[in-house]
Amino acid sequence: MNPEKIIKNINKISKKIGREVRLMELCGTHSQTVARYGIKNILPKNIKLVSGPGCPVCVTDQSDIDIIVGLANAGISIAAYGDVLDVPGNIMSLSQARQRGARVFAVYNVAEVLKLKEKYSDIVFFGLGFETTAPATAWAIKKGIIAYSLHKLFPPAMAALLKSAKTKSTSPQPSPYKGEGDRIDGFINPGHVSAIIGTEVYKKFKAPQVVAGFEAQDVLRAIEMLLAQIVRKEKKVENEYCRVVKKEGNKKALDLINEVFEVGDAKWRGLGEIKNSGLKIRKKYQNQNAEFIYCDLIEKLRSKIIEKPSACKCGLVLQGLIEPKDCLLFKEICTPENPQGACMVSVEGACNVEYRYNNAKCKS
Amino acid sequence: MWNIGIIMQNANLKMKNNNLKLKNKFIELEHGGGGKKSEELIAEIRKIIGGGKNNNWKNMRDDGATLDLTPTLSLSRRGGKYGRDAKFCVSTGALKCNKLVFTTDAFIVDPLFFPGGDIGKIAMCGTINDLSVMGAKPIGISLSLVIEEGFPMADLKKIMQSIGKVSKETGVPIVTGDTKVMERGKIDKIEITTSGVGLAENIISNGGAKAGDYIIVSGDLGEHTVAILSSRFNYKSKIKSDCRSLTKEIQSVAKYLNSCKDPTRGGLAAILNEIAEKSNTKIILDEKILPFKKETIAVSELLGIDIFSLASEGRFAASVSSENVKKVLKILKKYNSEAKIIGRVEKGKGVFLQTNLGSIRPIEALNGKLIPRIC
Repeated sequence: MNPEKIIKNINKISKKIGREVRLMELCGTHSQTVARYGIKNILPKNIKLVSGPGCPVCVTDQSDIDIIVGLANAGISIAAYGDVLDVPGNIMSLSQARQRGARVFAVYNVAEVLKLKEKYSDIVFFGLGFETTAPATAWAIKKGIIAYSLHKLFPPAMAALLKSAKTKSTSPQPSPYKGEGDRIDGFINPGHVSAIIGTEVYKKFKAPQVVAGFEAQDVLRAIEMLLAQIVRKEKKVENEYCRVVKKEGNKKALDLINEVFEVGDAKWRGLGEIKNSGLKIRKKYQNQNAEFIYCDLIEKLRSKIIEKPSACKCGLVLQGLIEPKDCLLFKEICTPENPQGACMVSVEGACNVEYRYNNAKCKS
Repeated sequence: MWNIGIIMQNANLKMKNNNLKLKNKFIELEHGGGGKKSEELIAEIRKIIGGGKNNNWKNMRDDGATLDLTPTLSLSRRGGKYGRDAKFCVSTGALKCNKLVFTTDAFIVDPLFFPGGDIGKIAMCGTINDLSVMGAKPIGISLSLVIEEGFPMADLKKIMQSIGKVSKETGVPIVTGDTKVMERGKIDKIEITTSGVGLAENIISNGGAKAGDYIIVSGDLGEHTVAILSSRFNYKSKIKSDCRSLTKEIQSVAKYLNSCKDPTRGGLAAILNEIAEKSNTKIILDEKILPFKKETIAVSELLGIDIFSLASEGRFAASVSSENVKKVLKILKKYNSEAKIIGRVEKGKGVFLQTNLGSIRPIEALNGKLIPRIC
């Protein structure tokens, strides 16, 4: 279907609904698409899009950054994906550690870590991301790479988010939302993550959901499908991205994850500790587990973490409770060159996207 | 690409320097990214060096600094005062020029050899192009090499051969140079610095765009970054670096260009924002006619890099008035059939993209460095 027809239909349905509808794009890449194509500008006024916790860099807890920075400062070589390097911890980021002499390498893929290992045999790969990047880390671990796993599972976070979306007043921050119904009316589910985990897992969440691709048309179509569900008062999982996402997901990747990792608790920035939401390296591979090898050092580092008070509101932004511009630091102190929180670091972070695409007034 | 061109004149400079407060304790990678942090660093360096007010150089924040030679040369004229009518012109071939343009650039590339070129070709073309986009004809280049101990002589030969080839093709001689060798591990393989001087009759500044102008490009953009990244990550790609000298192309249309820049570091986003800001105008691009090949877009999406920030090393973008745009395109198409109009200049501020959906969104200059995404 062509985009003009979809937009027309969206206008029609949203008029029918009348009240304000809040849809959350759970994946950072969707937030990018929304911003890049100016989708917010062409939607009817009563349809609001909010960014969710779908950027793996953004949900990384500061204390976890402190640990990895601590390892780097202790002289251990660290390799990490590029956007992780600038995430500020309580003391410093990995790139600041590098400026001060630590051996830190930015890599595009885990195969590069294998190459680095030839030169730096102690290299630790900082594995981070959802089900999308976990298989690559699993592969590296099987190849003998030492890893520090901060991999997270998407569905438990979604469950936590849905819980907070129903109980409106858990947040200390007053929500800007004043409409009726649930705080979030529907979800645009991630495409890449779903390509691995499939669509069945979402069925337990009682909310309108559409798994979507990353073209502008995909996102528009997903919005249209969500609105149609809301009109019909349905709460089901639909798949707009069937050219890539299969119902059962990617079995090979899931097997690889299961072979190397087991489920454990994990800390999320903004959402706190969520039970069974992280991937820990299995005992079978403990000699490749940095947490096991350096457990004494990590214990010591953990006891020294002092949480730096900050006015950064990444946690609330991640839950869709406030918009980036509601944060006092946004654009004033917090910029992509000088990020105060993770949402400003990653190109998929809600604050970074807002900064880059909505910095100027489009109507001038 | 920035030029100081400053004569230290202030005797009290040392005293003042001690009181200067610096914003950063350490140099960060972003300081070399060509974005706002680079500007910050340059501003700090200028502050530390000081002086610079009592010289006659202009365009010091453009691709090259310019010096009007008229006053200097007029001094040698017998008796008379110089004025507008008494322009003293230096004759360089067909061009009658009285403005000197001076630029310098340091080159570090990984990998040294890539599809479509190598570090030597870039070092030559980069400096020649910086002079060319100012409207100047390059007349001489200096070449400085810092080489790592143990660097293969065969590689050095290849690099020097491509420098020689560009010099021969463009007719721009290497007139002076320097070499240093560093202990193994103290530098990564090789670093090349080239400086160049050129002569111009009229300077094309980046602040000359006017409302009503069209924005044109001399060909498809971004292929240099894509070629470099493809070879760095072993992607199989047909794209070759667009690295080449722009002198002839720009000289053939120079008189019609209101403003002109080559989209190197920072890409189209950076240069259009610079043109819009310095010309006090708004630029609107149309998504339907963007100057990127499908493959360029595919690779940049794979790596999570904004296409508007991809660098080219042999293309330029310019603003041209509506009367001249057809003429200019006709000439440019002889050099590259992909030369085309990509947008228009209006009254206002900023750079925007009219998307295929009909919405409008800003195109921002890159902040910090290019980083790949992980998901």
